[in-house]
Amino acid sequence: MDSGARTLGGRAITIVLAVVVVVGLVIGDSAPQDRVNAIGSRIKCPVCQGEAIGDSPSETARAMMEIVAEKVTAGETDAQIVDYFTARYGNGILLDPPFSGSTLVVWLLPALAVAGGVWMILSRKRQPAPRGSEHG
Amino acid sequence: MTATVGYSAILVAALSSVGIIVQGFRGMRNPDLARAEKLQWPVYGMVGGALLAMIALEVGILTDDFSIAYIANNSATTTPFIFKVASAWAALEGSIVLWGLVLAAFVYTVYRGFAKRSEPDQLGAGALAVMGIVTLYFFVLMATVSNPFSVCVQPASIGCLEATHFPWADSLAALEGRGPNPLLQNHILMAVHPPMLYVGYVGMTVPFAFAMAALMLGASGAEWLLRTRTWTLIAWGFLTAGVVLGGLWSYEVLGWGGYWAWDPVENASFMPWLIATAFLHSAVVQARRGMLQAWNFVLVIATFALTILGTFLTRSGVITSVHSFTQSPIGPALLWFLMVVLVGSFGLFAARAHVVASSPRLDSLASREGVFLLNNLLLTVFAFVVLTGTLYPMFVDVFSGSQVGVGRPFFDRLAIPLAFGLLLAMGLGPVTPYRSAKPEVVWKRIKNPLRVALGAAALAVLLGYRTPWLVAFILASFFVMSAIFRNLFVTSRTVAQKRDMSLPSATLRTMRNDTGYWGGQISHLGVAILALGIAVSANLSVEADITLTPGSTESVAGFDITYVSPVSRQEATRFVTGAQVEVARNGKVVSQLEPRLNQYPTSTQSVATPEVDASWSGDLYLSLKSIDAEQVTLGVFWFPFIWLVWVGGFITAAAVLWSRLVRKPSDDRLAEAKASRDG
Repeated sequence: MDSGARTLGGRAITIVLAVVVVVGLVIGDSAPQDRVNAIGSRIKCPVCQGEAIGDSPSETARAMMEIVAEKVTAGETDAQIVDYFTARYGNGILLDPPFSGSTLVVWLLPALAVAGGVWMILSRKRQPAPRGSEHG
Repeated sequence: MTATVGYSAILVAALSSVGIIVQGFRGMRNPDLARAEKLQWPVYGMVGGALLAMIALEVGILTDDFSIAYIANNSATTTPFIFKVASAWAALEGSIVLWGLVLAAFVYTVYRGFAKRSEPDQLGAGALAVMGIVTLYFFVLMATVSNPFSVCVQPASIGCLEATHFPWADSLAALEGRGPNPLLQNHILMAVHPPMLYVGYVGMTVPFAFAMAALMLGASGAEWLLRTRTWTLIAWGFLTAGVVLGGLWSYEVLGWGGYWAWDPVENASFMPWLIATAFLHSAVVQARRGMLQAWNFVLVIATFALTILGTFLTRSGVITSVHSFTQSPIGPALLWFLMVVLVGSFGLFAARAHVVASSPRLDSLASREGVFLLNNLLLTVFAFVVLTGTLYPMFVDVFSGSQVGVGRPFFDRLAIPLAFGLLLAMGLGPVTPYRSAKPEVVWKRIKNPLRVALGAAALAVLLGYRTPWLVAFILASFFVMSAIFRNLFVTSRTVAQKRDMSLPSATLRTMRNDTGYWGGQISHLGVAILALGIAVSANLSVEADITLTPGSTESVAGFDITYVSPVSRQEATRFVTGAQVEVARNGKVVSQLEPRLNQYPTSTQSVATPEVDASWSGDLYLSLKSIDAEQVTLGVFWFPFIWLVWVGGFITAAAVLWSRLVRKPSDDRLAEAKASRDG
């Protein structure tokens, strides 16, 4: 009976904690989104080696970050701001390859790898093993 | 003179490598020839040559012998001693010499093991032959396209403009050397990080060589795996430490306010790490259950190939531009070697697949083996993602000439869920029984760790941290950590009761009894701490650029940052321009920092050196972005609990020490010895 009460208490604690976590996540993030830095991390600094404009101390990158900040205050959407830069510098300016065109492949290859791996594991499972029938 | 000695040493090492290959293969085919005395002289010759080449290079550097082009271009009379020593591996040609020396050391340890065996060891002889092929390749590289002992024929006032290949040619010494790249002499970590990475990279040659020998001999079974376990673990430990140190160096030196940027050089070290980690785990499955035999060959070949690919990526110039690649002859040479390795080893594997592909099947996915398979799937997909993201822009550039960018956002987006899955597997794996796991058994083992994890996540949520991935990683890493401690506690409690010991000594006894397993668990603990550190410091960091005039103050993340005055001074090897900054919190001064720019005389580029005020709650990180007479612009970063990243990383690497150095309790050893004597 004592152990029964303990199990019950344990379950209650687990459930309460889980509810707190879920409710907290549903209410959502209290910190405001830093859109300027988020966009800044997606655009490559054209004069650096693979650095984002948000990370680079170079003049060019800082000037570009200022443009981003102005456009965010002016109320432009993320897509509009990113389009502004791709129109000037081409798609190579993006560090975040779009899910289309010549960079579709980078997104599809990992998905294919997952599918292939899962298939390999499942095929090992399914083929009749010496004692496979006992295990269903 | 030094050049001639060094170059001759390289030739001796190359010729001796041929001897190792010939004698090794003969020993592999004929057990009568698989004896130590047949291989003794070739091995000694190769090791001696590699050592002498390194000594010659160091002597040349320390005596400022600028008739050698490498030294004229990578060292200077004013370079401090420790950076002089390190400049032997600061650039391409020298780094290959270090590579050769590390490889020679590994060959020597393999040879020692081979010589100690009483019965003929065909597998060991074959492995030495394969290692001989690798050493031959690297010494030929040094003797041809990447010669560290080229002598200077046209010196400039600083450095060397033109060199000739033949060390006995009439040389003209430069008056002063160019010194190492400023980035390399700005921090001591640069002397330590590359050698660690090399030991990690090169050590992977040993399991690869044994695997190839096992395939050639048609020897199925786990002998090659068990015999190379120590080398694999040591190499993995160094690789881990090398990657973590690389991150620390980037954080301490580069001043962009981070430690990992997913740039190709970092990825080059991370890919072999991922696959080597998969290999460590699937090796356990083969040793325990005889499964995944063929898969282990694939992984060990892939690890070795990725170390060569990594060297190619970092050393060929292909990263800076695909167009500079053809200018350096080392690039094509490494690419050809990579092709030979891939075609040769996978060809051999395909030809012998029938011998090795007869492993037992999986009984149930819900088992330890099942979780190991999940771990392997996630790690290989992770490595594949990194490989794709790193190489794709280069392929597009080569084949279509157009530029595409694949950077941090891409990697982050895929790495975060993969890492989360790996953490879950890490928590579940050790509590899941082999063969087939009953849900109630697993539940009993995870219910308390799960409560602890939920408690940590709930606390984070209540404190207002509600970014979904942050909460997910807090949950997962606390789950892993508490599952490890629960496991240790429950096992030790049983030992304590059975042997009537105190709990602490029972705990120590448990951990010493199965050092392989507990070493792995310590490593898992390190990874969980590391993951927690990354999640917390990345999600809760604060960054801002502030521009200040002398005397003015601005507030970032609760710190009042005051620009006191500009600083400039001449130091022994560099000119320093910096900003004297005072940091206060709640009206109390907590630190004086001096972020600065270092200007080295031999270079036009100046190096930013951030300064960090580290405390247990986090790092306040200041980097100097620009400074002029009126004002200064500072990058200010607040990284909470970032020390978790370094501590976790080093625990992960150092866990290898537990699994290889700690010995079993002596009475257990005696009991085992007795049992084996009695049969």
